[in-house]
Amino acid sequence: MRANAPIPAAALENGELRLDRLLGRRVLGRNGEPVGRLEEFRAEKHGTGWVVTEYILGAAGLMERLGVGVRLLFGRRGGGYVAKWNQLDISDPDRPRLTCSTAELRRL
Amino acid sequence: MSAILDLVLGVVTSIGGFVEAGSISTAAQAGSEFGFQLLWAIAVATVMLAMLVEMSGRLAAVSRRSLAAAVRERFGIHFQMVPLTAELIIDVLLLAAEIGGVAIAVKLLTAVGFQWWVLPIGLLVWLVLWTLGFGPIEYGIGLLGLVTLCFVYSAWRLQPAIGDIGAAFVPSLPTHDSTRYAYLAVSIVGATVSPYLLNFYAAGSVEEKLTEKELWVNRSTAYLGMCFGGVVSMGVLVTSAMVLGPRHIIVDSYEQAALMFVPVFQQWAVPLFAAALGVGCFGAAVEITLNSGYVCSQVFGWSWGANKPRRDAARFTSAFTIVLIMSVALALLGFDPLRLTLLSVALTVVIMPAVVLPFLVLMNDEKYVKQHTSTAIGNGLLAALTVAGAIMAIVVIPLELLGG
Amino acid sequence: MDLVRDLLDKRVVDRNGREMGRVDSLILEAREGAPPRLAAIELGPAVLANRVHRLLGRWVAALEHGFGVDEGRPLRIPVAAVLEIQDHVKVDLAFGETSAATVEQRLRRWIRSIPGSS
Repeated sequence: MRANAPIPAAALENGELRLDRLLGRRVLGRNGEPVGRLEEFRAEKHGTGWVVTEYILGAAGLMERLGVGVRLLFGRRGGGYVAKWNQLDISDPDRPRLTCSTAELRRL
Repeated sequence: MSAILDLVLGVVTSIGGFVEAGSISTAAQAGSEFGFQLLWAIAVATVMLAMLVEMSGRLAAVSRRSLAAAVRERFGIHFQMVPLTAELIIDVLLLAAEIGGVAIAVKLLTAVGFQWWVLPIGLLVWLVLWTLGFGPIEYGIGLLGLVTLCFVYSAWRLQPAIGDIGAAFVPSLPTHDSTRYAYLAVSIVGATVSPYLLNFYAAGSVEEKLTEKELWVNRSTAYLGMCFGGVVSMGVLVTSAMVLGPRHIIVDSYEQAALMFVPVFQQWAVPLFAAALGVGCFGAAVEITLNSGYVCSQVFGWSWGANKPRRDAARFTSAFTIVLIMSVALALLGFDPLRLTLLSVALTVVIMPAVVLPFLVLMNDEKYVKQHTSTAIGNGLLAALTVAGAIMAIVVIPLELLGG
Repeated sequence: MDLVRDLLDKRVVDRNGREMGRVDSLILEAREGAPPRLAAIELGPAVLANRVHRLLGRWVAALEHGFGVDEGRPLRIPVAAVLEIQDHVKVDLAFGETSAATVEQRLRRWIRSIPGSS
């Protein structure tokens, strides 16, 4: 196996990242406090492609995708936030941070 | 008219394909050790199976996806790894047990040691899958499997007291050996509600292009077919209870189970039992092998289908071939097929929540089943039963393994 | 469109309707002062394994390399080649001409040699 080429990184160009690197990551607020986990990426058509306009941050984390637990037991989402694209800084994909305060986020 | 024909064929096929190594071994042991007392377990398991099978068909007809495909799309690969690996491991175990069952059946007919038959039987399973399409496979298995009706005939001929049988449908506590009783109850459920059946049925419905308009056929086939099929399992238990129980014959092997036919069929007892065991297990072996191909292909997005030329779905064909080879290798190791069967079906119950719970979520997701969602009662019942079963299995299996 | 719910893990078919695989990963392009753009979808067992665990991804990539099937993998399909996204994703490619078909074609050669493969 090629020593320094874990397949993922090798194929990516500058500024590109795999969605699954962000999916499920804990998002921290401006003061480092945990806000939730990145669960969904809302995209809109833009010309011939799509751009990510919003991020859904969930309190339950990946359980949301499982739909079990939260939805079945409590009947509704366990609470979370919607962050606009410019409210989240993903330049460090392993540590996404809010660029605004938690209060400015739209509640789910 | 053709829908009625589909229904009849579907029901007949379900009856014929119902019993295999798991149901025969668990019912035989339950009957010889506890009389009619565990009939309620077969009844409960059959109803659960009927509900789950109907849901599989409904999911396939409305979403045009099999269960494995829908689980990957709805929950993602992370989650799917759990039920997928668990199911594949159990499928290999169960397949080895079914092949072992056929091998014992042939041994009963030829007096040649069962291990000699494992390889030829594995090869035959592969040949059936290599050459036949989905319809011929299903109908062939179902029609040949009607030989298992001999269990029902035998139970009827022995004239069991109807009152005793009726009473046995009410769950009761055992008077002796509670651990063993619980283990058998759990194993009966695992033998009847095999997880592979859920995806197999859904994939088969996709192969046969079941549509939303035919949901009533699906529902009728599921309930009628499974319930009549359950009667065959009960036939095994009742016969065993009336013949082996009083003589205190412990079913330690399929050879001893065959003795249950002696009073009714006399010199035909062993050949008939062998035929029923052999055909039942062979059918299950074909289905489990085919399903392993379905599951791998559907999860990873390969082209699949028994109705396609094999070379047009090379990865699908290779996948089920590899699973078959692994099972044949396991069977060749010479584990006692009866013991292997019981272990497989008990483990099945442990993983059942991982398969059934996401299934229930899908059946309430309008994106997959549109307006045909399940009722709250049905969901609650199935969820409770699978979780309860799993908890019981986790408690009872180690106790049984340590004590046995 | 929700990327995780509506695009990730969906079936991918080529322009002729042939199965190509599933959307195993999505590539986003982060841009300064602009919303991230969906750049491409990716298909490949190594990328899929990587989602489960990084080490598993490496291991599968090593396997692909060992078997000599890693050329052009993972298959990267730019968004421009996506024709439609509905029940499944249709792309403007031919399965047989992409790296997604490598293993299938290899195995097909073996299977062809067995009589009755059609």
